[in-house]
Amino acid sequence: MSNDVSTRPADDLRGSRRRAHPLVGYVMARLGISVLLLWGITVVTFVLTNLVPADPLAAVLGDQAAADPQIVAEYRRQMGLDDPLPLQYWHYLVRLLHGDLGTSPQTRHPVAVDLAGAFPATAELATAVLVVSVLLGVGLGLLAALRHRRFTDQVIRVVSLLGVSTPMFWLSLVVFYVFFFRLRWLPGSGRLDATLTPPPHVTGFYTIDGALAGQWSIVANASLHLVLPALVLTLYIAGLLVRFTRSAVLDVLAEPYVTAARARGLAPRQVTFGYVLRGALLPILTMVGLAFGSLLSGAVLTEQIFAWNGLGQYAYLAATKLDLPAIMGVGIVVGVTYITINFLVDLVTGLVDPRVRLG
Amino acid sequence: MSDVLERPGRWTRRLAPRGERSPWRQPLAVLGAVVLVVWLLVAALAPLLAPFDPLEQSGDRLAAPGGAHLLGTDSLGRDVLSRVVFGSRLSIPVAVALVVGCLVVGAVLGALAGYLGGWVDEVVMRVADMVLAFPTIILAMVVAAALGPSLVNAVIAILLVNWPQYARVTRSLVLGAKTREYVVAGRLLGAGPWTSLRRDILPNVAAPVLVLATLDVGSAILVLSGLSFLGLGTVPPTPEWGSMVADGVQQFDAWWIGTSAGLAILSVVAAVNFVGDALRDALDPHTRSTVAGRAL
Amino acid sequence: MHRTLRHSLVVPLLAASAALALAACGSSGSAPAASSASGGTLVVDSTFDLKTADPARSYEFTGELLGHNVYEHATTFEGTDLTKPVPELTTFAFSPDNRTLTLTLNGEHKFADGTPVTVDDIVFSYQRVQGITGSPSFLLDGVTVAKVDEKSLTLTTTAPNLALPAVLANPSLGIVEKSLVVAHGGTTGTDDAAEAYLNTASAGSAAYQIDTLDVSSKIVLKRNPNYVGTAPTWDKIVIENVAPATQKLNVQSGTAQIALDISPDGTKGVDGGSTTVINGISGFTVYTFFAADAEHGKAASDPNFVAAVRHAIDYSKLLDIAGKGSVQPGGVVPVQFPGALTSDPTNSYDVAKAKELLARSTYAGEPISYLYASDVTVQGLRLELIAQSIQADLKAVGITLQLDPQPAATYYSTLRSNTVQAALSYWGPDFPDASNYLAFTPGQGVAKRANWTADSATGQQVAPLVAAAQAASADTRNAAYQDLQRTLNEVGPIVPLLQPAQSVVTTTTVSDVVPSPLWLLDLASIH
Repeated sequence: MSNDVSTRPADDLRGSRRRAHPLVGYVMARLGISVLLLWGITVVTFVLTNLVPADPLAAVLGDQAAADPQIVAEYRRQMGLDDPLPLQYWHYLVRLLHGDLGTSPQTRHPVAVDLAGAFPATAELATAVLVVSVLLGVGLGLLAALRHRRFTDQVIRVVSLLGVSTPMFWLSLVVFYVFFFRLRWLPGSGRLDATLTPPPHVTGFYTIDGALAGQWSIVANASLHLVLPALVLTLYIAGLLVRFTRSAVLDVLAEPYVTAARARGLAPRQVTFGYVLRGALLPILTMVGLAFGSLLSGAVLTEQIFAWNGLGQYAYLAATKLDLPAIMGVGIVVGVTYITINFLVDLVTGLVDPRVRLG
Repeated sequence: MSDVLERPGRWTRRLAPRGERSPWRQPLAVLGAVVLVVWLLVAALAPLLAPFDPLEQSGDRLAAPGGAHLLGTDSLGRDVLSRVVFGSRLSIPVAVALVVGCLVVGAVLGALAGYLGGWVDEVVMRVADMVLAFPTIILAMVVAAALGPSLVNAVIAILLVNWPQYARVTRSLVLGAKTREYVVAGRLLGAGPWTSLRRDILPNVAAPVLVLATLDVGSAILVLSGLSFLGLGTVPPTPEWGSMVADGVQQFDAWWIGTSAGLAILSVVAAVNFVGDALRDALDPHTRSTVAGRAL
Repeated sequence: MHRTLRHSLVVPLLAASAALALAACGSSGSAPAASSASGGTLVVDSTFDLKTADPARSYEFTGELLGHNVYEHATTFEGTDLTKPVPELTTFAFSPDNRTLTLTLNGEHKFADGTPVTVDDIVFSYQRVQGITGSPSFLLDGVTVAKVDEKSLTLTTTAPNLALPAVLANPSLGIVEKSLVVAHGGTTGTDDAAEAYLNTASAGSAAYQIDTLDVSSKIVLKRNPNYVGTAPTWDKIVIENVAPATQKLNVQSGTAQIALDISPDGTKGVDGGSTTVINGISGFTVYTFFAADAEHGKAASDPNFVAAVRHAIDYSKLLDIAGKGSVQPGGVVPVQFPGALTSDPTNSYDVAKAKELLARSTYAGEPISYLYASDVTVQGLRLELIAQSIQADLKAVGITLQLDPQPAATYYSTLRSNTVQAALSYWGPDFPDASNYLAFTPGQGVAKRANWTADSATGQQVAPLVAAAQAASADTRNAAYQDLQRTLNEVGPIVPLLQPAQSVVTTTTVSDVVPSPLWLLDLASIH
């Protein structure tokens, strides 16, 4: 379902914060809430994953080994499953504060290491999608609003609505089938051809790392691999941004100050960029931030089909195998990203809009 | 704040019934409505329309479209067309029920938070924030994986992660409404909080929330089919579009399985969105922007 | 044993995930092999289920491929003949009472660093497997390992265990270089810390050694310069984690030479031109069971009900879904193992008979809950298709199955709670010997899932046959196990359904690819 987006963060803030805060107070308050949210996420995941009837050992041990009480006991001891739940949670929290997310029983790797590998993969895809989507989405959204109710508007609306109505997992399948399986124009899965070796790790983005190492063939290959999954996600994200920009711009167009600017005889271009787009910028920025957040976790299905070794895949495997530390790790990484983005957006909003800052 | 600054008198009718804004003047909305009605008819008349029993494994496996099987057969020799037709009986009503569930839970909590304020507001909204900060599909996957795949569990999973957006919208609308003169007047005339909420505030909050819900039906179908696609939704052999797409992934050469089901999802979701979009446009501008960001 | 959870639905695409890309090792960009001439690189596509490369801990498919190809074992099997273990590192001989197996070094073998393999290495390796309490530890349960002299050691058991030489070929019982492993934290107890080392390098004496390894994406093997056997054809072997659909494309385009996991339907139409399909029979037994006790089985615990099921299933349809190369075994033992039953009329499709038997049972149309793993495939075969096919077959005779699909993690814990009414499952061989299948006899591992106890009436019926099979000499063993399986079919709650095919697709540039049910491929013999 759609991610919640605060079109007017001020609305939400007003309820919980009535007294005036200076900016520092505002920042501290938001920071406090963010930390609280993070803690909440660890609790929710921990409770959820422990409420489940499944025994995590079942997924790890072979049939014969699972029948041997000695082996089972040894595994339980190693995984710390013998402690009472609150104690397990406490241990987890303490380790977390030391930057240790635990070890995944499935991959036998520290979760932090797994995530460090998966996160850049998804982030690279999400960044590519976002760059294209913002250009496309904001541009077309603005155009649609300026041509309100005219033919251009209608066409853009239909296309963007179709974009957000298409099941991404199906579209992924279609483009995979057509461009990879049938036409063989583009690579279908993974981030690089199997025969290539990833560039030395700097950012984790193959395109950037390749460029840094001067391995242009890697950059080219990694870019080609990005095309199909990015295409699918862009259709959706750009659709979102078109619709959002359009409605934000329409709101601004109805504001008295825009009418006033026009009445004063300013050039249409000046009005459009100086007043309208500027006025709509904050809500659009909020939306872009959230779109990035949703791409991090929302690309699960697309990642599956394109064998994109990112967070979504990792999360799926972790969820189906009830890999507790891994699930919590993903929750925390995505939660941190989401909360950080929200925090930054709130911060920018607070800086720009004195009504928010001053309550 | 925008809601406060709103001119008096506008609140009486948030959904303009006639005139230029009427949703039914827009060709897209009409198209969407027609497609939707067709699908509802298909769902209602499925047993009459489907050429085969959707569970019958009688045909050749993976037969291409044509002949007796207009859309071919799947991995077990079942008629794809019949399964698409019967799939509508599941996806559409369940999505609607899901949205209604989210709406009820979210709207009630949001209204209470907005109206009562104080610690109730804090608790409800912080919990909502927490759920929103957690990756939706991952939470849904954990719940579905933990409780075992079934339609009911998938619905519970999505309900669990989807109510906050209704809570937020409702809260923000209630906040805007509760300081209005007529509400204050109602309270001064002796109406208790419950009466006030029900009689004075609800009618003004209902329209935008319902529009949000309409727009959300499409997303609900997408998420439900997404979970089924991952094997965490409906239980086989029930015909369901998402799991049919999943079958299509397994059988690349049998493109007809995934394509048929995918187009079915696309057409329903697009139709719902066309209608919802037009309804949203019919709301007044300020309310529209409150809803705009939530359901896209 | 459950070797692997191949996540059907998505696995293909998803597990593969890893594959292509990630951090895959610092291997120096292995180019696709040019030709089948000596040297060059062989690219093998597989879907990974690798957790570790430490043989004493590994019990997954990819791990077995690795375990067999980088470690030597006391014994091995040659080609497709799984009836007779042959010497590898050691020759073997039983004492007259069949309780002591003496292993004697079979010439000189050398680890990759040139050190010769000694009796101490073998003893250490076995004791490490026993002491580590990992998934493979049970292989040597009840076996006492003792060094005799510099040339030999003995394995002693309390009861005769004629299967021991076959067990020793299990990839998990690879012989590691003691000094190297100990230097990296290796012990023979639960405090062993050598796993991390064994994930980055191999301490084995086989034709290949690990060059680089990433458990989720790519394994690169290089030659063991000191290998004493015939030098293998390929300089380097890249095993990469690739989705089945992509594997097909890779082989068709020549990017890879061998693909291991193309689904039965996917191999259709691939044979010919630049690719060849090799259809072997896998060692997996896919079976279904109905709880034998009234409490959990309810109406399904009625022997007439199970007998009806045996005749209600259209096995040929299952084999059609499972593709070319799949077979219906007569009993639970795979057809290529000694002691197997090739067919049994008790398990045959006969709707009339099924209805007749059902009428005699207490079953009255109530739904039977049927558990299976929704995301598991066995050799590319999706179990969900088998479950749905059986559901339709049983419906035709009047039995209602209510499918209960669960993801592997929950599936296994549900199954092992021994409380399910009915389930679909599969068994992969730990070693190619009928005695491995004693797990299907009353009171043992698999039968426990069905609550089939040794003291039940039918359990007591089976007991003497089990005893006879265990006590049988080498000559009478096969017949004894066949008798046992016939009785299991007659009175037991477990119905063997099929053995999936093991289809390997190769380019025509490689030859001598022999799929093995035990370790997928012997890489050293591929030309």
